[in-house]
Amino acid sequence: MSDNSFTGRSEATKADVSAIQVDDPILEMRDASVTFDMDRGESRVLDQVNLDVQRNEILGVVGESGSGKSMFASALLDAVVDPGTLSGDITYHPDPDRSVDVLDLSPEQLRELRWEEISMVFQGAQSSFNPTTTIRDHFEETIEAHNYDMAQGMAHARELLEDLYLEPDRVLDAYPHELSGGMQQRALIALSLVLEPNVLVMDEPTAALDLLMQRSILSLLNDLQEKYDLTVVFITHDLPLVAGLADRLAVMYAFEFAEVGPADEIIRNPTHPYTRSLLKAVPNLDTPLQEMQPIEGMAPDPVDVPEGCSYHPRCPLADDVCRASNPAYHAVDDSDDHVAACFHWEQASDVLSLTTDGETEHAEIVGKQSADPVVSLTDVDVHFEQEADGGLLSIFDDPDLVHAVDDVSLDVYENDVVALVGESGCGKTTLGKTSIAAQRPTGGSVTYREQDVWDAKDGVGDVETPFEAIRRSLQMVHQDPGGSLNPNRKVQASLEAPLKHWNTGMDAEDRKERVFSMLEYVGMSPPEDYAGRYPHQLSGGEQQRVALIRALLMNPDLILADEAVSALDVSLRVEVMDLMLELQDVFDTSYLFISHNLSNARYFAGNAGGRIGVMYLGEIVEIGPAEEIIANPKHPYTKVLKWSTADLEVDQDVEEPPISSIDIPDPVDPPSGCRFHTRCPEAREACARQQPSLDEHASDDEHRVACFREYDQSHEYWESEPIDDGESTDLFADGSDAAEIESDD
Amino acid sequence: MTADDRTPDDVPFETVSSSEVTRGERIRATIDEWILVPARILWSDWRARVGTLIMLLYVLMGTVGVWLVDAPQIGEGERLIPPFTDPSYPLGTDSMGNDLFAQVVHATPPMLEMIVAGALFTTVMATIVGTFSGYKGGRTDKLLMMFTDILLTIPGLPLVIVIAVILEPREPWVIGIILTLNAWAGLARAIRSQVLTMREESFVEASRLMGLPTRTILVKDIVPGLMPYILVNFVNSARTVVFTSVGLYFLGILPFTNHNWGVMMNLAYTTGGALYTLRAAHWLLVPMAAIVLLSFGFILFAQGTDRLFNPRVRARHENNAGANSSDDADENSGKVSTHIQG
Ligand code: SF4
Ligand code: SF4
Repeated sequence: MSDNSFTGRSEATKADVSAIQVDDPILEMRDASVTFDMDRGESRVLDQVNLDVQRNEILGVVGESGSGKSMFASALLDAVVDPGTLSGDITYHPDPDRSVDVLDLSPEQLRELRWEEISMVFQGAQSSFNPTTTIRDHFEETIEAHNYDMAQGMAHARELLEDLYLEPDRVLDAYPHELSGGMQQRALIALSLVLEPNVLVMDEPTAALDLLMQRSILSLLNDLQEKYDLTVVFITHDLPLVAGLADRLAVMYAFEFAEVGPADEIIRNPTHPYTRSLLKAVPNLDTPLQEMQPIEGMAPDPVDVPEGCSYHPRCPLADDVCRASNPAYHAVDDSDDHVAACFHWEQASDVLSLTTDGETEHAEIVGKQSADPVVSLTDVDVHFEQEADGGLLSIFDDPDLVHAVDDVSLDVYENDVVALVGESGCGKTTLGKTSIAAQRPTGGSVTYREQDVWDAKDGVGDVETPFEAIRRSLQMVHQDPGGSLNPNRKVQASLEAPLKHWNTGMDAEDRKERVFSMLEYVGMSPPEDYAGRYPHQLSGGEQQRVALIRALLMNPDLILADEAVSALDVSLRVEVMDLMLELQDVFDTSYLFISHNLSNARYFAGNAGGRIGVMYLGEIVEIGPAEEIIANPKHPYTKVLKWSTADLEVDQDVEEPPISSIDIPDPVDPPSGCRFHTRCPEAREACARQQPSLDEHASDDEHRVACFREYDQSHEYWESEPIDDGESTDLFADGSDAAEIESDD
Repeated sequence: MTADDRTPDDVPFETVSSSEVTRGERIRATIDEWILVPARILWSDWRARVGTLIMLLYVLMGTVGVWLVDAPQIGEGERLIPPFTDPSYPLGTDSMGNDLFAQVVHATPPMLEMIVAGALFTTVMATIVGTFSGYKGGRTDKLLMMFTDILLTIPGLPLVIVIAVILEPREPWVIGIILTLNAWAGLARAIRSQVLTMREESFVEASRLMGLPTRTILVKDIVPGLMPYILVNFVNSARTVVFTSVGLYFLGILPFTNHNWGVMMNLAYTTGGALYTLRAAHWLLVPMAAIVLLSFGFILFAQGTDRLFNPRVRARHENNAGANSSDDADENSGKVSTHIQG
């Protein structure tokens, strides 16, 4: 350690920057800082960052929200918004011998640079498209604004769309809302590539999508990168997602890079304590449940970054040196492309062990479910009338019946956890809402402790449990943490509302105290401070906690957690799920947990000895004990979901999905027979004619599968011909196509 | 067997309060929330500040002003004194020697009454009908919307004229309501369509699932979200009342019982020939200026008020709320993306 390392963070030498520099950089960032002047002081949201982007590489930038990773993207393009000031150097090399100083460009040159040389894709394609013009207009406008040749540009656009498995004619003439989220995001990627940029910067481009779609887009991105010699900077909070895609990974913490290196090095031999903890905090399918644990503490405030190593308040290895001075980058194991900004990187692997080898006993976790169901669904159907703006081709059709849920039976017990997993549009949310009496089924019955819920509501027959009591006992935590709290009310007022109405015996003081103690219990202290905040002053995780408290204040028997952790950073999910499970113990409540992510479902249900149910097009196709489903998935669809759940394996390339079409068929006209047969790689002729079903007689803790492959050899499935779907482009065909192919049979 | 008969020990759930907050403290908190914070927010925006000052000026004129300034009397001064020449008739006099300033001042109280009655009637009616119909849906919605649609098809101004001619209303507040009799229908429809999207919001659904009564949900969850919109419309209908009443007085459709700026303009035009002779021009211009200034004040106020209900702005003006940094970062990155896309 050189002496000057004690002279304070700003002068700390960044000695070993070899990995941060590369041989043939296309972008060089030197000493880049972004600061905002705020009432509370200077907010430094990017802190002297040095990093090169290698030509034609895929660089994955990983960080939690608020780590400065989006600011890194903006800085690359000199696109920091106004009150912020960017200092340092950013150099762009269109080819190895030329260099452009990005911060020196005129606004006009910058505009050109941003589309023609370096282009960007953001999360949430919906907000990037103008809803009133067609996709074609978007392309034409972009081409025109940059004085490109229209015919050539559009030809390129069509090629790009085809590369992304979209049908150019149909997509170009569509309005944004007529496309599914995944298609919009793919169209946006095509749009950002139409001017043939060299660099594509993507900021959480897939965060709003289903896992299956995310993975599929990533595999397309891989192809695109090779075909067009792109350099891709992929920014995300989801480490496992990029692990297989990226060539190099750069882990961000507290507005600077903590560790940079080749992707497989980082995953196999993570060296910075933060990276190691992050890997443990990410829910996945391989790590034993006991090993996953959240990172203690909170990410620092940009106004007040800790002295010395910014990670020291959370780091188990921190000592006085760490507190006093900012660590420089140290080359890991003398390799020149893997560096970590940590003094004690050599010890990190001993203190924070990771089980990278698979030999661990799976401890049996036994749940505490009761014998009698709290809520019980029998043969439930929910059919909706299709709204006018359904799928792409259905605009001119008459309203159709959408089979959101078809003939599902499910029992939820006391202290139970049932996780429903499936793609968007599979009806899992509708089924969830039906279970908590928020949605009236069109067929079948829903009972709460043997009282038919809707009879109670309508006052039909002998009502033993009044609907009001049922209503209180079945609560919900919504997906979007921002939307689940009234933006105009303070936390205190939001939480008091149920108490005011139901516990009329409490006076204002009691209510306040109770809210405070609940806030304190979930780790939001000081509670006085949090109670006085508006929702926008809370982070996503805090908002979700408040929503959870609000549901618990009703003392419910069952809480529907609809994608309750999906909007949170991966590193926060374990923490929030742990909290939910802990509260289950305290409040004796059951959860119906809905997720598109198998690893969240596994963590949540697995830790409570619960079940996982896999839904496809309104039906439960496989259900059973959580670990059993993960370890031994039987239904081909569950296998697909398992594939889509990125694990921390780097050597396996992003391969083709084991499925024959990535878009879900139209629920208006579900395929005949087994609904999965249009996408099932194992489908045979018999599957199109007959419908497999779950074993009605098996008990609830058995592993049940609705697939003919689980039937015995005498079933005609084994005799019939495989369904051959010919072209490979079908893979990414739109759902309505699948439906068409189906009806042609 | 329901949820209530479980009593877990040792749970934050069972906490009851140990301290008492004095009444005074609670009142102070209420004042802070409802008066001081809004006042601070208004004051921080120049448009709202100027708008509020202008409106205050009129309120003062309509309350204190009528005490300070004697009612105008025929022949109290010379005929047609030009403005700014005689300090006892600062705005000059009309052809009967009436003090114009006194006329403007004494026309204010009935005007204010009309504005408040009309604007309140429109917005309250529209809010109640719009939110209820949008939230309840079903048959309630159909009935209420049929009613508003019928009102919408009746042309507004002719209806007002006919009613005014038949009823010959003299009470300012009655006039105010007549003037806005069918103006609320359009607003109710607009509010309903906003409620339709709001009722699907997660937090509204959560309230519904907690079994809170519809009234509570409407008042606490729905209406606050619509407040910026409602307030802007409140101010707009206030302007409508000013313009329509002045117009109808000018045309002589409403009975000349009160002092009114429209009456002044009517007289200036018909008896003073203010359009043709420069000597009487101020007779027409003075009431016009009064109207324009008030309407200008309304517009500025309306522009400044949408901040009033923005929780981000509110939080900044409250002294007790803790600052939060992730918020700033989010806000910034949000701006970045729109910036680049745009
Ligand atoms: S060991 Fe020290 S230098 Fe390394 S991450 Fe922890 S606190 Fe920072
Ligand atoms: S029944 Fe046939 S189509 Fe359905 S999942 Fe099994 S193999 Fe595939």
